[in-house]
Amino acid sequence: MPASPTAVVVDDERLMREQLVARLKDAWPELQIIGEAGNGSEAIAMVQSLEPDVVFLDISMPGMDGIQAARAIARAAHIVFVTAHDEHAIAAFEQGAVDYVLKPAEPERLAVTCERLRSRLAQAPDPMDGLLARLSDRLGNGGVAPRDYLRWVQASVGANLRMIPTGDILFFRAEDKYTRVQTPGFEALIRKPIKELIDELDPKEFWQIHRATVVRVDAIEQVSRNFRGQQTVHVKGRPEKLEVSRSFNHLFKQM
Amino acid sequence: MSTSNTAREAFRDIGTAIAAVWWGFFDWLALVSWKSLVLIWVLVLILGGVLHRPLTALILIVVSAIIKIIAGGKRRADLTASEATRRAEMEQLERTAVEARMQALQAQVEPHFLFNTLASIDQLIQTDPPRASKMQQSLIRYLRSAMPQMREGSRPTLGQQVNLCTAFLEIMAVRMEDRLRPVVNVPEGLKSAVFPSMMLQTLVENAIKHGLEPKTDGGRLEIGAAIVDGQLTVHVQDTGVGFLPRGEGGVGLANIRDRLKALYRDRAELIIGVPATGGTCATIKVPYEIAPVST
Repeated sequence: MPASPTAVVVDDERLMREQLVARLKDAWPELQIIGEAGNGSEAIAMVQSLEPDVVFLDISMPGMDGIQAARAIARAAHIVFVTAHDEHAIAAFEQGAVDYVLKPAEPERLAVTCERLRSRLAQAPDPMDGLLARLSDRLGNGGVAPRDYLRWVQASVGANLRMIPTGDILFFRAEDKYTRVQTPGFEALIRKPIKELIDELDPKEFWQIHRATVVRVDAIEQVSRNFRGQQTVHVKGRPEKLEVSRSFNHLFKQM
Repeated sequence: MSTSNTAREAFRDIGTAIAAVWWGFFDWLALVSWKSLVLIWVLVLILGGVLHRPLTALILIVVSAIIKIIAGGKRRADLTASEATRRAEMEQLERTAVEARMQALQAQVEPHFLFNTLASIDQLIQTDPPRASKMQQSLIRYLRSAMPQMREGSRPTLGQQVNLCTAFLEIMAVRMEDRLRPVVNVPEGLKSAVFPSMMLQTLVENAIKHGLEPKTDGGRLEIGAAIVDGQLTVHVQDTGVGFLPRGEGGVGLANIRDRLKALYRDRAELIIGVPATGGTCATIKVPYEIAPVST
């Protein structure tokens, strides 16, 4: 442990870093600020290269946020979270071992934080596994979604590229080299073949009814069948009759 | 087994066809005017006379008269039912609009934005008082232009929405420094046009949050407006990281789409474009309408 403790300040806004650095100087003159970082990944790199005793870490930052960065550096340095407003985070801190500072940092409150840090510097940093997991849950970014289906499809309409919400799409149909995307108002083209597309669409939202056709379930108006048992899907507001191939007949079994 | 199945299916198809013809006839009878029906009866009577089948013709006429009376009743019932459905849909739409307004009110001033801005002003007061004062004025303008929208009844104009966004962008530009380069390109003449509240603001916030903030060196954000084919077309374009097709966000966009639908039905739309130069371009098209002058 060096004679004078060292710290790194992490915030995406320069003004906020300046503010904290200036106020730390008043509250704890011996503390050396050896680095400033503007995002989570910069912070991790800086902690690895400079090995500070303390990291002041802003929670909400673009890209990798403070919670994610904290997971990587909690064993290497004592972490003090900095936040402008987050009642959930504050509630969690109150049960946890680490400290937090509200922006703009009030000198009296900052003095308390520095006092706590001074008394803890001799100990190893708390890995905070439990707290970080809890914070992550509260802020809603820790859990990995089971499967991300497409919510938007990037398609060309005439000469322009557009993002079309899947809820607007009536059906996809393979046509020559392209796949046609049909909405109530217009048609668009994508290059992705039906075979690849079907894996990326939510099977609750879209059904494949033919080698060349995928239809949005909610857009189906009726299914008719002729005397040979051949099924045809009619989509709301469209004249097309979409053929159901034999292997997908089971989708529309009669109740 | 399969032959009898096929036969049964064939019979069912024939049955369906007969039923379709019968209901087609029924609907035709319900819709046809009494005048043309009487004309047809006269023709049938003449035909019956020519073919020496007056009794058949008479029976046809009586039967069709009875059906016409019954069908008329069914028709009226149908009309009443569809009228009721229409009214229910209207009520649903109004509810959506009211709910959207409530959400807009809640989302109006995000606490995180407010507290961060106040913290920045606090710092500037010590280091750069003139800039602190400018930023505080921007904040006051932002809050002031956000307030009237909370009052009900008044129709928001594009000018109000642009002022709100300009003040917001000025504040964010101080905080993000050269990572945000805003450009506002809205012709003076279009500022009196009616434009729904909180939509432009959502697009600008999205462009910063999802487009520019994740990009280390930030980028440009442009608000533009024009009349295209008689429609007021307002766009927010950024040079950020681009739209993610799997992003879990999109609540703000879905909200805009719902509100546009409630306000304008099919006469308005939200388009998310992907410019060739990268980034995202969100466009809202609404019917062009000048706001009544408020006193």
